[in-house]
Amino acid sequence: MKHTITRKEDLNAADYVIDVIAPKVAKKFRPGNFAVLITRSNGERIPMSIEKAEGDKITMYIKRLGKTSRELDTWNVGDALYKVIGPMGTPPPLKKYGTVVFASDLVCGHAENNAMCRELKKIEGNHVISIQSFPTKEDVYPEKERAKKDADEYILATGDGSVGRKGHMIDVLQELLEERKIDMVFAGGDIPALQKLSELTKKYNVPVMTTVRQIMVDATGMCGSCRVFIDGEQKLACIDGPMFDGHKVDWEAAISRLAMFKGKEAEAMECYNEKMKAVV
Amino acid sequence: MAIQERIPMREQDPEVRITNFLSVPLGYSAEEAVAEAKRCLQCKVPLCETGCPVRMDIKDIINLIADEKFEEAFLLSKKDNAVPAMTGRVCPQEDQCEGKCVLDKTGQPINIGKLFAFVADWARDNELMDETTPQENGKKVAIVGSGPASITCAVDLRKLGCHVTIFEALHMAGGVLQYGIPAFRLPRDVVDYELSYLEKIGVDIQLNQVVGQNVDFEELKKDYDAIYLATGAGAPRFLNCEGEKLKGVYSANEFLIRVNLMKAYKFPSWDTPIFCGNKVGVIGCGNVAMDSARCAKRLGAKEVYILYRRTKQCAPARAEEIHHAEEEGIIFKEMISPCRMLGNEDGWVTGIEMVKTEFKGTDKSGRPRPVNIEGSEFIMEVDTIINALGTTPNRLFLSNVPELETHSWGGIKVDDNFMTNIPGVFAGGDALSGGSTVIEAMGNGRDAAESINKYLNK
Repeated sequence: MKHTITRKEDLNAADYVIDVIAPKVAKKFRPGNFAVLITRSNGERIPMSIEKAEGDKITMYIKRLGKTSRELDTWNVGDALYKVIGPMGTPPPLKKYGTVVFASDLVCGHAENNAMCRELKKIEGNHVISIQSFPTKEDVYPEKERAKKDADEYILATGDGSVGRKGHMIDVLQELLEERKIDMVFAGGDIPALQKLSELTKKYNVPVMTTVRQIMVDATGMCGSCRVFIDGEQKLACIDGPMFDGHKVDWEAAISRLAMFKGKEAEAMECYNEKMKAVV
Repeated sequence: MAIQERIPMREQDPEVRITNFLSVPLGYSAEEAVAEAKRCLQCKVPLCETGCPVRMDIKDIINLIADEKFEEAFLLSKKDNAVPAMTGRVCPQEDQCEGKCVLDKTGQPINIGKLFAFVADWARDNELMDETTPQENGKKVAIVGSGPASITCAVDLRKLGCHVTIFEALHMAGGVLQYGIPAFRLPRDVVDYELSYLEKIGVDIQLNQVVGQNVDFEELKKDYDAIYLATGAGAPRFLNCEGEKLKGVYSANEFLIRVNLMKAYKFPSWDTPIFCGNKVGVIGCGNVAMDSARCAKRLGAKEVYILYRRTKQCAPARAEEIHHAEEEGIIFKEMISPCRMLGNEDGWVTGIEMVKTEFKGTDKSGRPRPVNIEGSEFIMEVDTIINALGTTPNRLFLSNVPELETHSWGGIKVDDNFMTNIPGVFAGGDALSGGSTVIEAMGNGRDAAESINKYLNK
């Protein structure tokens, strides 16, 4: 199977979108699933949120963050990834929730936001509100890459108020929770922000499911690297999640464990930069 | 007549091998193999064969080696064992064939494992394959997982003429042979070579196929005449003690998957990183614990400790692994049991609290039962902890097939013929037992193949 890139565009200065041929993943994808990418035969297995599946293609939003994502950014339409595996994970139930919000503040979260709102809106009895926040105007994704068309109500926010509402997704959510009855909140993005968001929903007694992004290796339930603690019980983000009840997550552990390979990630980046310099 | 001693196995020097991931044993030369084979007494009743889970013709194979008929020896070993180059290296021979050898009483049993590895390697060097062309019987069998049980079952069924498709979730085939056992014990060219045999005889291996996730189990049931589930036991067990969330605490599976499957020891030219500190504590004393400890040593750890609540005499690890680990400077701390893990304010592990144990009576396995000695707690400074406490059956596939009956501990339930509660769906390997050895899983795969064949010809 050749996992050819069929589209690659910038979302903003830091993030980009790719469409990749992956028919098996596309066929079975449900919002809340993720894919595992291996870019080269000596590459790592990286979990990646899926924004949508259409025909034999899946769409993913990727941040230029570490070595693999930066290297992939140098690839073009027509290049092929070594492996695209999935869909992995256990998605939350797609059902009637009532007034349901999806809030996101970061690349993978935005992808999940679009995917989830699109499907929730199709279910009768749901009123879907999407909140997407970005630091500033320049960071805002093009309209077709946002959940605007996928939700009943769409709220764009920027941290500095340069476009849309001023504030972070949490600020917008708080206003909503004050104003009206929200039945269910989903959220994805920056992990420390998701902790705060979970605490906020708890205050208003509204259930919340958030993506708990963790480091994965095999992503099939065998390594335990992505272990998260839900009400004291150990679960694996790769097969039990990655979305969990935000009120029950041990956020301190989740945040801490994400940093385990920081040093190694910097080393890989440095090594890659040296290599690229040599190429130039 | 004095008993002639075993022909010694040449090995990489411990000082050298802890700097690489190359094979520790260097293998017998033809002369050495013949000399070792000639020591065999050719017993009238070969007890060695009663100890073999796949029932190899050990006596005759050794006789052929003694006569320098290596080709015949290879073909005869291949009759019952799809992957002799691997089992020769990883079987716990001291509990099986070599343990039953009458010479074992003298402490000098025939080195059956190394002899069989020699024959398989010789065949490979001479580009000799077991050229079976199966007579197609029109039956289709799907196998989920590509570990030792699957490999054996696939080969046996293929030889009977079935069309066999293996569905493997990972991006490389072999299961534990690929992600679990390190290259210094089982070189990857050996694994690749043995797996290439499956393709040669027409077994279709499909990678990245996660049955239940991207392949419908219902579709498999429709498309195939029988299914064999050998999804393995790869789910790590944790202590569930304080501090297990800390950074620097691994399951042995994570540590080994990073090193073996993802080649983290080649980081950064390979992308997957691994963090290994200077003082490493490995909890447990099985083969996986030895593999983890020896990998840690090769990754540059200065001090590596095996922390074990019994003594190494009762350890489940192969004798050769313990011996090699000791040669490589792994320090065995016996009769101690972990209580909790300690960390610093950055969330990194800094130590482990252990408690001393004493033996009181015996447990179900017949081994002495370790009991904690109250008040004997002490703290060991470590910066990396590897939990090698065993594994439980993988639950990803099982969770997607709720109608499949399982035991409370996660193992798949089967009848005497290895058939599950779903007609035509069989199961085997560690998915049944929760964890055994490569060769036991292979024996299991062989028995299942027999049952599946009977079922298909009913």
